[in-house]
Amino acid sequence: MEDKEAVPVPVQSDFNPAAFVAGYNREPIYFDEKFVYLVTDINQDELIMQRRREIEKEIWESTSLISEKEDLGSLEAEYITDEVYQSKVKDLLRKYNYIRRTRPDGNCFYRAFAFAYFERLLSHQREYEDFKEIIMKNKTNLMTSGFSTVTLEDFHETFMEVVEILSKGVSAQEELYRVFNDQSYSDYVVVYLRLITSSQLKLNADFYQNFIEGDRTIVEFCHQEVEPMYKESDHIHIIALSSALDVGIRVRYMDRGQSTEAIAHDFPEGSHVRVHLLYRPGHYDILYPIDAD
Amino acid sequence: MANIASQRIKREFKEVIRSEEVARCSIRVELLDDNYSELKGEIAGPPDTPYEGGKFQLEIKVPETYPFNPPKVKFLTKVWHPNISSVTGAICLDILKDQWAAAMTLRTVLLSLQALMASPEPDDPQDAVVARQYKEFPEIFVSTAEHWTSTYAGGPRKKEEYSKMIEKLMGIGCDMDQALVALSSCNWDMNKAIEQIFG
Repeated sequence: MEDKEAVPVPVQSDFNPAAFVAGYNREPIYFDEKFVYLVTDINQDELIMQRRREIEKEIWESTSLISEKEDLGSLEAEYITDEVYQSKVKDLLRKYNYIRRTRPDGNCFYRAFAFAYFERLLSHQREYEDFKEIIMKNKTNLMTSGFSTVTLEDFHETFMEVVEILSKGVSAQEELYRVFNDQSYSDYVVVYLRLITSSQLKLNADFYQNFIEGDRTIVEFCHQEVEPMYKESDHIHIIALSSALDVGIRVRYMDRGQSTEAIAHDFPEGSHVRVHLLYRPGHYDILYPIDAD
Repeated sequence: MANIASQRIKREFKEVIRSEEVARCSIRVELLDDNYSELKGEIAGPPDTPYEGGKFQLEIKVPETYPFNPPKVKFLTKVWHPNISSVTGAICLDILKDQWAAAMTLRTVLLSLQALMASPEPDDPQDAVVARQYKEFPEIFVSTAEHWTSTYAGGPRKKEEYSKMIEKLMGIGCDMDQALVALSSCNWDMNKAIEQIFG
């Protein structure tokens, strides 16, 4: 039991490991860009989890679940010394005028998507009626996807409680913002979207199997990468959720790629785009286009 | 929506109570306090395993952030299993750690623990000594696990030979738990066990 090992705990791009390590007064740990290494006894999973939560808390306390809308120009200041990113920010500024940041807790794709789409539905009441119908139809899929009825009903009810707010139209903007910053409601919405994503993957396993690396089955993938909270999302999650709800999502990629533009991908391909997200490695925020429909 | 965690547990508690597994006496839960933050679970050792016939008590603690984080579960009944600490009862099971999902329930947890008892994962051990025995001396593992089941969980199968060895060690001043642990971890080699205790 004397053996020690360093367990790498992945951190988000905007987490400051140096500050965390400096403020850490227990066992020695070290860090690089992507990981904080927690030195611990082998088999002390409980301890690792506890420290992982401390790191998460540190990240969380720096950003609200959903922030206020801010001028997209604020991104320019973030990348003042970085040419690759600067040209991409300039490109974005030609197409978008606002950004809304989300908490980088691994749930950001779901939370950003939900808030952006719900906010749109406030002023698109016909689309809202269609969306409600899709959700009710989709519930049947969820019932056959092997989830416990007890929890499924629980999540569905709370999700619908939030969806009902949208019937009040644009006057409910403040209320929507408040609800998305209430940890419980907000997380219930995230969980329900995770369940929808998972059931879409399972019901179309033949198709989605091609996207999965290694020898995991779709069901295993869902158990490991979709259903648990805080697990980050990739293309496959976005395709599944946007297809299940029939909502087009455009993701703008800000990465180290050589292009001078922030390249766009639409999910599903060729769909009518209703939600715009900004992707930076490991994280999604909401974008507001200049010429919104 | 005050007290999400306790609301959820209340509903799940009902789910377990009404489940067919309870009807078959295979799982059970019991409340320990009024706000549903601490429960006691019980699972029956699965058939055709060394745990058959035993009843295993579990401590279940529900965190305030439930169901977004998993319940904390450990064995109160001593058990000899590669993924359960023979000392502390701590459990190594993915769904109690990073693969917990908010859609899971107490019933899922109890059934998963039964499944774990039936199919150990020696390559991801909680108790390295037990895991080594499981891989290198499978027959000794089975009779040792049976002996633990009968000693602590009311199981039916006890090896006369093992009982005699334990008595012998108790005769020279060991207590029963200490003797059983030492003999079990030394693959029932009396000399090694004595060395481990008094060495």
